Amino acid sequence: MDDRSFVAAQDFLLSSKTFWTKQIYEDLKRTYEDAVARSGKTPTTPADVAAILEGDTLYRYFAWLERHLQRLKYAGRYGLVPYHDERRSVLAPPLRDTGAELSPTLEMPSYYRRVDIHQHPGGVMSDELDGYVYERGARSTTPLMGASHADLHHRFTDLVAAQDAERVLYGRILDMGCGFGKSTQPFHEAYPDARIDAIDLSGPCLALAAHQAPSRSSPKVRFRQMNACATDYEPDSFDLVTSTMLVHELPPGEIEKLFAEAARILAPGGRMVHLDFHAIDGPFARFMHYGHGLRNNEPFMQPWAEMDIHASLSDKGFTNIKVIPFQEAEGVDLENHAAWRFPWTVIQAELKTGG
Amino acid sequence: MRISDSLILDRPEQNFFADPALDRAFGVVMALATEVYVQRDRVRALERKLEAAGIIDRADMDREPSEDERQANAEDREAFVEGLMINLLGKQQAKGAS
Ligand SMILES: C[S@@+](CC[C@H](N)C(=O)[O-])C[C@H]1O[C@@H](n2cnc3c(N)ncnc32)[C@H](O)[C@@H]1O
Repeated sequence: MDDRSFVAAQDFLLSSKTFWTKQIYEDLKRTYEDAVARSGKTPTTPADVAAILEGDTLYRYFAWLERHLQRLKYAGRYGLVPYHDERRSVLAPPLRDTGAELSPTLEMPSYYRRVDIHQHPGGVMSDELDGYVYERGARSTTPLMGASHADLHHRFTDLVAAQDAERVLYGRILDMGCGFGKSTQPFHEAYPDARIDAIDLSGPCLALAAHQAPSRSSPKVRFRQMNACATDYEPDSFDLVTSTMLVHELPPGEIEKLFAEAARILAPGGRMVHLDFHAIDGPFARFMHYGHGLRNNEPFMQPWAEMDIHASLSDKGFTNIKVIPFQEAEGVDLENHAAWRFPWTVIQAELKTGG
Repeated sequence: MRISDSLILDRPEQNFFADPALDRAFGVVMALATEVYVQRDRVRALERKLEAAGIIDRADMDREPSEDERQANAEDREAFVEGLMINLLGKQQAKGAS
C-alpha cells in the first residue's frame, strides 16, 4: 500500500472516531438522560445503565464503532500492521542493535499472551515491528487531544516534579511499562542528572525506545526488558517508581505483585506515582469505561477500577496514599466533560520510612 | 501479508446488533467507506498536481457541468444506478428454485 492511501485511510478512521467521541457519545448520553428522566428512577450501577441502553440502536452503533474502528485501524486493509509489514526490510534492521538490554528468554505472563491488547494483532511483543505499530497507533488514541496528546506525559511529569521543586528527591527513577519511551523522556528532561531505568515486557517497544528516544544517547537512561512485577533490582534501588497506562493492563493478582515489587525496591520514604484510569464519576461513566475495556481488548479495566487501592497499598507499607483525578489537557472539565474521555487518574503513595 | 492472516479462528467476533448480519454488513460498509475516502483523497491530489502543471483549472472542474455533459453521462449514470438498485427487487436472474 502506498503512503498516501495509508494516511488517507487512517485519517478517515480518525475523523470517524472523532465523530464518535463527540456527536455519537453526546447524543447517547442525552438518550440515556431522557430515559432516566422518563423512568423517574436513578440508576446506581453499571448494570442499571446497561438495562437502559443495551437495546438502544444508537448504543449498538456506538459499541460497534468503538470496536471496529479500532480493528480497521490495526488490521484492516490500510491497517497499521500490514502497512509496517510492507516496510519491514527498511524498518527492522536499525532495531536489531540499539543498546536496549533485551532478555529473549524472559517468560511472558499469560495475561499478556492470551489477549491481544488494544486489538493489536499479536499484541506488542510478537513481531519485531510491534513498537512501530504501537507508536503510530498511540498518536491517535485520544482524537480530541490531537497534537496535545504529547502533552499528557509532560503534564504528568510536571505534576510529579512540582512536589519536588528543588529537584533533589529523585536521583534514581524507575519507569515501569515504558513502552517506546514516551513516558521516560519527560522524566529525563525534568531530571537530567537522575539515573533512569525504563523497563517493559516488550522487546520490540524497548528496541524502538532505544533506537529513537531523544534520551537514547544519555548514559543516564537504560531500557531493559523485564517484568515489572518481578524485577532484578535490589531493595532501596529507587527514589521514584512511576508508570503511565500500565496498571489497568494487569489482572488484579499481578497488580498486587506490582505494588509489592515497588515497595520492595523503593528507598524508605521513596515515592510511587502511577498515571492510569481509576476515579470514575457515576454509573454511566463506569458503564462506558468497562465497555471500552471489553471492546478494546483491555479485560482488566473493571477489576482494577473496583480495586480498593488504599487497602492494597497500606498493606504493603505505603502511606500518604492519594487517588486524584487528572486533567489530561488544558480546559478539560473534570466534573462535566461533554465528549467521551478516559477517566485519567494519578495514584500516588510514599513508602514508610523505618519500620 | 493478507488481512486473512490475522483472522483468529477459535474466537467469534463480538456482536452488537440484534441480528449479527448487521454487524457484518456494517463492517462491509465501513471498509467501503474507507476505500471511497482513499479514492477521493487521490483524486484531489491528482487535481492539485494537474492544476500546478497548468493542465486543468480546478475552479472550472468545480463548476456545474453543462447540459451536454450531463446528458453525455446519463447512460453511464443509469447503468450504475440500475446495477446498484436492482438488488433490492429480490428477483432471480436465472430461473431456479425459489
Ligand atoms: C499502554 S502501554 C504504555 C507505555 C508508556 N508508559 C506510555 O505511556 O506510552 C503499557 C505498556 O506496559 C507494558 N507492560 C504490560 N505488562 C507489563 C509488565 N508486567 N511489566 C512490564 N511492562 C508491562 C506493555 O508492554 C506496554 O508497553
